[in-house]
Formats: sequence, structure tokens, C-alpha cells
Amino acid sequence: MKVMTIVKREYLTRVKTKGFLIGTFLLPVMLIAMMLMPAFFMSRAGKSAQQKIAIIDQTGRLAEKLAQSFGDIKNDKGEQRFQVEMLTTDDDLESTKHRLNGRVNGGELNAYLIISSTIFSDNTFEMHAKNVGNFEFVQQVERTVSSIVRNLRLEESGLDSELVHRLNRWVSVTTFKIGEEGSTAQRAETSFLYSMGMGMILYMMLLLYGQFVVRAIIEDKNSRVIEVIISSVKPSQFMAGKVLGIGATGLTQFLIWIATFLLIGAYGLTMAQMFAPDMTRLPLPEISPMVLATFCIYFLTGYFFYATIGAMIGSMVNTDSEAQSYQWIMIFPIIISFFLMFLINNQPDSLLATILSFIPFFTPILMFARVLNDAAPLWQIGLSIVIMGLSLWGMIWFAGRIFRVGILMYGKKPTLPEVVRWIKYT
Amino acid sequence: MKTLNIEHVHKSYGEVHAVNDLTLSVHEGQVFGLLGPNGAGKTTTIRMIMDIIKPDQGNIEILGATHSDKVRDLIGYLPEERGLYKKMLVSEVIQFFAEIKGVAKKRVQQRAHGWLDRMDLLEWRSKKVEELSRGMQQKLQFICTILHEPRLIILDEPFTGLDPINTNLLKNIILDLKGGGTTIIFSTHLMEQAEKLCEGICLIDEGMSVLQGSLADIKKRFGKNRVRMHYAGEATFLHDRSLVASHDNYGNYVELSLMENVTPQRLLERALQEVTIELFQVAEPSLNEIFINVVEKGGQA
Repeated sequence: MKVMTIVKREYLTRVKTKGFLIGTFLLPVMLIAMMLMPAFFMSRAGKSAQQKIAIIDQTGRLAEKLAQSFGDIKNDKGEQRFQVEMLTTDDDLESTKHRLNGRVNGGELNAYLIISSTIFSDNTFEMHAKNVGNFEFVQQVERTVSSIVRNLRLEESGLDSELVHRLNRWVSVTTFKIGEEGSTAQRAETSFLYSMGMGMILYMMLLLYGQFVVRAIIEDKNSRVIEVIISSVKPSQFMAGKVLGIGATGLTQFLIWIATFLLIGAYGLTMAQMFAPDMTRLPLPEISPMVLATFCIYFLTGYFFYATIGAMIGSMVNTDSEAQSYQWIMIFPIIISFFLMFLINNQPDSLLATILSFIPFFTPILMFARVLNDAAPLWQIGLSIVIMGLSLWGMIWFAGRIFRVGILMYGKKPTLPEVVRWIKYT
Repeated sequence: MKTLNIEHVHKSYGEVHAVNDLTLSVHEGQVFGLLGPNGAGKTTTIRMIMDIIKPDQGNIEILGATHSDKVRDLIGYLPEERGLYKKMLVSEVIQFFAEIKGVAKKRVQQRAHGWLDRMDLLEWRSKKVEELSRGMQQKLQFICTILHEPRLIILDEPFTGLDPINTNLLKNIILDLKGGGTTIIFSTHLMEQAEKLCEGICLIDEGMSVLQGSLADIKKRFGKNRVRMHYAGEATFLHDRSLVASHDNYGNYVELSLMENVTPQRLLERALQEVTIELFQVAEPSLNEIFINVVEKGGQA
């Protein structure tokens, strides 16, 4: 009951801080933004005003086709994308260009094209515009002209352009990810990105929340509330309360993220379609229940493991700067396992990867990385959880012995031999 | 009934013997002063009573039991190093400290209102602790110490940092609590406070109990040979070693200690022959004098 009081206080004060609110809601907002932005910009391009172009056809045989093809292009509202004006080359090209430049500068015209009679041999034509940086616009013009020229060549060589088109069709790849339940279609790069992403979230949360615990203990030590608390509850209860309270904050944050993710999964497409009606799927990976479950388990065991170390470090020192000299005990293994994660991603089922993922300091991140890569059999996952639980128990015992002495020590930073002596105190 | 019983307790920090064979007991409903100079071992003793640190040797019994979780909730403790959660609201802090002492939420609110009112902090209830002055924070911490209605209250230097008005307020509250049957132990090096409040005292110096008992007894023991007098005339008797052991002349008056087996009566008879007496008083020594006397003697020995 008393532990709950401490948990409650820790949780409520933390959840109310600005840092927590920003940290919690920034990620989902960024996630939504990342998905909606491309859709938004795509639709912006589609909605842009009608383009007025003039075409100088020097070949004398493309004019009709060009006018028709450009005329057929519609924007997303179903309006004509291009308003085409065909010019002939009766008069001098330079003077025509001069006249058109004036019209473009005057805003009367967006661009003009010069299709020279040599287009069939040198495969190029000119486009003059004020703004040639509009990639989508330039590409559309190029594609249109190119396809007309190609079709004409096919016709002239006696081939059926329809047939050639069909034979020439581009082939695309669909990748399948093999999991426990069979294979699911997924794009290879998204899969890699998202496993890296989840590993990253786990890494950041362990690092961040471990340090939160260190700082929380130092704060209480400095505000001198410890003595009253320790006279009311046992040091172990106090430590548990702190670690659980901060852990609950982390879990809350994580649950909010999951909820956002699910909401996006359910309604995101509808939202995105408001901006881009032709969108049929969101760039969202599928997360299997196995991944979700192991994420929670490794986050919790990893958090408690490192938070206990954090509490121990916090109890030993008096200031944040003093904590720096001991914090490596907690930070190093987390950072090392993060780098090892990249290493084992290449060969997640190698012997080295398997051994590394069973070392308690590395298990939370490395075993999870192997789960993401579907390289960890169920028995290994189970065994790693058991080992993690036992190590956690040992770490709580060890850290608890240092904590109950350290928490009441003020003054100079203890040396390592002194800390060792604390462990032996009865 | 004994509320607190300490028997032959020792505690060392490395080479330093912080508490050395301390034995003392405090009766129920008593106000007990743990006195001593700075660094005498008062805080160490209190921390051992609170089970924050364990004695190396010896036995401590509180309310007839050795330390347990149940006993924890029956003690209120105001440590020398004051500390509250600065970012929390006054009402939240009270709630928190009462809850870790096992008081139900509903009862906390009723009691808190009364105490905040008495301490003149009621309008600060919804303010953050950091907005309060030092004196107010100290009063707030006192409320946190007693809100769970402990049977034993331990106050480590409760008066430091309080102005005379608040000192008086606190003194009255201590006396009220004592009237309600609560046992109160406080440590101080301010003898004036101890003299006004305590029934029993224990004087600690260098980790050892050097003087212990009820204040009245101790005063009697130290006071039987002290006389204070105002007079006019030439007082040669002050230098008579068969009567006066020593004297301090303060100008307006003289304080003197009599030789052993000399009664104040005999001194008065002799003095009447030499001077005109304006005031003659068999004086009790102040606790301050006893303190200095005992500690300095201990230092010489």
C-alpha cells in the first residue's frame, strides 16, 4: 500500500510535466505528419492551376497528336491540365521565340516547346519556361511528347503499337516476409526500417528512463525528503516505488503511441484520402502480436533491470555531475547492444548473435532484434525471459544492498572499495 | 509504561565512536530532551531509534516492541535536515506523507484542515511548496510529522530557523500534544527551550550519556550550593574559603557556590554582619550552566 503511494506520487508528478507531454505527443504527431505530408504535396501538385503551353512543331506531322494528347490530360478535379496553343514555323524561329519569351514573362504563357524536325534522330526537344524546377510538370511534358514520338516510330516500322506496349510492360516485384504464421506481403525496405525503428524506440526508452530514475533519486536526496520517507517505509519499498512509478510513466507513453498507431491503422487511410483520393494504402507496416508482446516484455524486463542499476547509481551520489562518473555502468551496455543490433541484423540466427542475445545486459535489445528478424525460436525467447527474470532478481538484491546505505550518505562521493563495503553491511 | 527503552547501544563509523554504550528510557506522556553539543551523537541516536540505521550493539525497544512496520506508523519524525517535495502543492504534500504513514485519505483532509488553520497556512493550501517561506515550510513539515497522530514524536532541532512567534506556537502545540498523552522526544543544543519544556533530559557528549534524569532532580542536585545576592558594603566573606568555594561578581549582583556542608543559612548570618542585604536567593542553576559545567568537565577529564 505504501509502495503504491510512492508510485502514485512519482507517476502523477511526472505525467504532469511539460517534458512528458511533449515527448509523448510529438512522436505520434510526427508519424501522422510523415504519412500525410506526401499525400498532401501530391495533391497540391495535382490541384495546381491549368498550364498554358505553346508548341512550335517544326516536324509538321505531330501537331494534331500533340494537341490531342495534352488535351486528354486531366488533373484530379477532372479538368483539363494543359491548354495548348499550336504554332507553325512559317516565320523566323528567333522572332517567334522572342515573341513567346515576352508572353511567358508577361504571365500569359507558362511554357513553350520547340519540337525540331530532327527529333526522330537526336531524340530531344526544347522546353522554355520561367520555372523549370517543377519536376512533376516537366516530367509530364516529357512523358507525353516521348510517347507520341515512340508510337509514331512503331507505326512507321509497321508494328502494332498496342501489341508492343503489351509486350514491353514493366514488371515489378512484390516482396513477402516469412513469419511464424506463413508469409505476408510487405515491402522489403519498410520492413527493415520499421524493425530498426522499433529497436530504436526500445533503445531510447531504456536509455531515457534509466536516466530518469538516476535523476529522480538524486532529486529526492537533495531535497532531503529521503530521511522522512525512509523512516516511514523500508528502503526497498522506496526503491520499488520509484522504479515502478517511473516505469508506469514509460508504459503510459508507450500505450499512447500504440493507440495512435492503431487509430492511424483504422482511420488513417480515410484521413489521407481527404487530401489524396487516389491513395489506396498507407505506408504502414503490419506489426504481429508476437512482436508487440515481446516488445512489451523486453521493455519491461529491460527497464526494471536498468532502472534498478539507475536507482543504485542515484543512491551513491549527490549531484548530477557526480552521477556522470558512474552512469556508464548503465549507459554503456545499452549503447553497445544498440550497435550490436546493427551487427546481428545481417545474420540474426548466427551462433554469435544467439550467444550475445542471451547476455542479460544485451537481451532486451538484441533478443528483440532477433524476434523482429524472425530469427529467434520460441524456446529461445522463453529461455531469455527466464534468464532475464533471474538476472533482474539478482540485480534487485545487489542494488538494494547498496541503495539502503547509499541513500542516507551525504558528502563526498564514495569510492569503489567503500561501495563494496556497503554490500557487506548487515 | 516506557515508550522508549534503549539499552547499551553502540554505533561506530569507522574509527569514530558516534554512540558509546547509551542507555536511556522515556516514559509515556513525557517531554524528553536529548541534549548535547554539536556532533555529540544526538542525530545518530535518533536515526537508530527511527530504524534508519542499525546499532552495532545493543537493544532498542519502542512501545514495548522492537522495530517493526507497525511501530513505524506510530512514530512521527522531524529530521534535522528538512525536506519536502518543492514542486507539489501544500495539500498534496500533506496527503503524501500521511499516506505513507498509513492514514486513510478521507481522514487526512479533515485533520489537515485543522492543522493548517492552527499553523496559519490555510490560505496557502493550494500553493506550491516552493512558494512558501522557510518558516512556513518548517511549519508545514511539522504538520506532516504529526498528522498521523503518532504516539511518539521525535523532533530533531525543531526550533532552529523559527521566529519567536512561531517558536511559541510550536511550544504550545508540543504541550498540547503532551496533554493528549503523546510522548515527545526532541533534540536541541538550545538549553533555554529544553528548560521550558522538558521533564526528563539526557545530556550526551562524545557519544556517551553524561547526565540523565528528571529536570527537577538534576537541578536540585546541582543547585543546593548556589546563592545569588544583592548587597551594599564591603563583603570580605566572599574570600572566606571555609564558607565560599567560588564566586562570580556581575556588578549588580554576585553568584556564589558554597563549600560543602555549608548551608545558605550560615552564609546569610555571616553576611548580615558585614553588608546590607537587598536580595538573598538560593538559586537553581540554569540548564545552560549545568550543560557548560558538565561538558567542560568532561572535556578536561
